[in-house]
Amino acid sequence: MRAPARRRRWRQAWTAYLFLAPGLVLFGLFRVYPLVEGLRLSFTNARLGRATLQYIGLANYTRLLDDTRFHVSLSNTALYTVASTVPILVIPLVLALALNRGALRTVLRGVFFFPFTLSVVTVGLTWLWLLDPVVGPFNYYLRAAGVPARSWLGDPSTAMWAVIATTVWWLTGYYLVIYLAGLQDIPRDLYEAAALDGASGWRSFRAITLPLLRPVILFVVVTHVIGSFQLFGQVFVLTGGGPGDATRTVVQHLYEAAFQNFFQFGAASAMAWVLFAIILVFSVLQFRLLRGHTEY
Amino acid sequence: MRRRLDVQSVLLTGSLLALAVLWLLPIVWVVVTSLKMSADIVRVPPEWIPWPPTGAHYYEVLLGSSRTARIGRAFANSIVISVGTAIIVLITSSMSAYALARMRFPGRNVVFTMLIGSLMLPNAVVLVPQYVLVQRLGWLSTYQGLIVPEAATTFAFGVFLLRQFFVTMPRELEEAARIDGANAWQVFVRIVVPLSQPVLAALGIFAFRSAWNDFLWPLIAVNKPEMFPLPVALALLRSAYSSESYGPIMAGAALSALPLLIVFLVANRRIVEGVRLSGLKG
Repeated sequence: MRAPARRRRWRQAWTAYLFLAPGLVLFGLFRVYPLVEGLRLSFTNARLGRATLQYIGLANYTRLLDDTRFHVSLSNTALYTVASTVPILVIPLVLALALNRGALRTVLRGVFFFPFTLSVVTVGLTWLWLLDPVVGPFNYYLRAAGVPARSWLGDPSTAMWAVIATTVWWLTGYYLVIYLAGLQDIPRDLYEAAALDGASGWRSFRAITLPLLRPVILFVVVTHVIGSFQLFGQVFVLTGGGPGDATRTVVQHLYEAAFQNFFQFGAASAMAWVLFAIILVFSVLQFRLLRGHTEY
Repeated sequence: MRRRLDVQSVLLTGSLLALAVLWLLPIVWVVVTSLKMSADIVRVPPEWIPWPPTGAHYYEVLLGSSRTARIGRAFANSIVISVGTAIIVLITSSMSAYALARMRFPGRNVVFTMLIGSLMLPNAVVLVPQYVLVQRLGWLSTYQGLIVPEAATTFAFGVFLLRQFFVTMPRELEEAARIDGANAWQVFVRIVVPLSQPVLAALGIFAFRSAWNDFLWPLIAVNKPEMFPLPVALALLRSAYSSESYGPIMAGAALSALPLLIVFLVANRRIVEGVRLSGLKG
C-alpha cells in the first residue's frame, strides 16, 4: 500500500514540474540570472565588446562616491520620490471617497483611468505641448488669469514639479481604482453603527476608513516608491534631464553610462545595485512604519 | 435630511464632472492639434475647434516620407510585440499558477515565495545583464528580443493573479473529470482554462498594456529603425521634427492611444478588475 502511494506522489510532483517548466525557464533566464549576473558585473570592468573581464573589487562602487553627477541624480530622484508620493497618496484617495458615494461612478472612474492607458512617451509629448512656453495653452490661460508666463520645463526651479504634475495626471486613475476596490471591501454596517452612535463623517473616516484602508495605502506607497526610484521616461521626453542636470535621474545616469558613454556595463551594474539597495531599504521601512501601528 | 443630502450629492457630482472634463482636456488638446492645419497650430489664443480640419499629419506619419521611423510600421511592430507578450504570459502563467494552486510537490513554497518576491524587483536592476544576455542570443532588434524579456517581466504577476483565482475555484468539476479518466493536462485545458476566461482576459489586457507602453527596454534593445515599437518611434519623432511642427507628433501620439482606447471602451470592466486584483497583493 505504501509503495503505490509514494509512486503516486512522485507522479504528481513530476506533473507539477512539467506545468511549471516553461514559466520557470523564462523566469530563471530573464529575471533571476540577470539579477545575479548584474551583481557579478558590478565587481568587474565589463564593457561592451571587451572579451575578458577583470575583477576590480569595489572600484565601481567607490568611484560612485566621487561621481558628483550621480549624487545629483540621486538627490533629484529622492526629491521626486518624496514630492510625488504625497499627491499620489492623497488625490486618488480623495477622488475615491467622492466617487464611492456619488452617481456616475463607472463613467468618472473610466475618465480618470484613461491617462493610465497611455504610454509614458505619449503622456510626455502631451504635456510638452501643453506646457510649451510660447504657444502652449497652459501658459496662455495662466496669463489670462494674471500669472506671468514662464518656461516651466526650461526653468531649473520648476522643471521637476512639471514632471511630478505630469506623473500625477498619468497615474492617478490607477491608484484611484485600487482605492475604490479597498473602499468596497469595508463593510457598510460599520459606518451605519458609527452613524447611530452619532459619529461625524470625519470621525468615521478617521476611525473606520483609514485604519481599514491601511493595507491598500501601504500597497500604493510601496508600489509608487519603487516606481519613482526608476523615474526615466517622463524626464527623457520632457526635459532630457535638464535644464543643466536639474531633472537628471539615477536610471538616466545608469542608461547613459551603459548605453551612451563607452558602454560601461560594470559601472552601470554598480549603480543598479546601489539603487536596488536603496529601494529595498525604503520598502522594508515602509512595511515597518505602516504595518507596525495597525491596531484593530 | 433627505433634501440636504441631495443638494450635497448634486454639488459633489457637479464638481467631479468639472474635474473629469479638466482631466480629459490634455488629450482633447492632442487630438485637436493633430487635426489642425500647421499654421493654425501655433495660433494664440488657442482654438479648441480644428477648423478646417485636416488629415495631413496622419497621412504624413503613417505613409508619407517621414524623416524617421514610420509610425505605421512602428504601430505594426507594437501590435506584434504586445500580442506576442500577452500570449506567452497567458500560457506560462496559467500553467505555473495551476501547478501552484492544485498540485503538491517539494519546493512549492520556495517557488511561490521567489515569484512573489520578484514582484518588488525593480526592472532597472536587470537592465544591463538582460541586454548582455539578449545580445549573446543574437536577439537585439528582433521581435523575440522584445517579446520574451517583456513576458518574463509580467510572468510572476500573472502567476500571482491566476493562482489567487484557481485556489477559489470549486474542485468538483476537476475531480469528476479525473474520475472519468482525464489526465492533469486534459483537465487543465478542457475545464480550468474555459472556466477562467474572465481572469485570463484581464491578465491578457494587462500584459498587452505593459508591452505596448514599455519604453526603456526597447530603447536599448532595438537599434534598427524598422524594428522600433511605437513609444521609441514617437520619442525619436519628437527630436526629428522641430518643436513648431507639433502636428505630426500629435498625430502619432493620438494614434498610439487608439488600440488601448478601443480595448478600454470594450472591456472597461475587465481592465478595472485586473487592476483591482493587482492591488490585492498589498
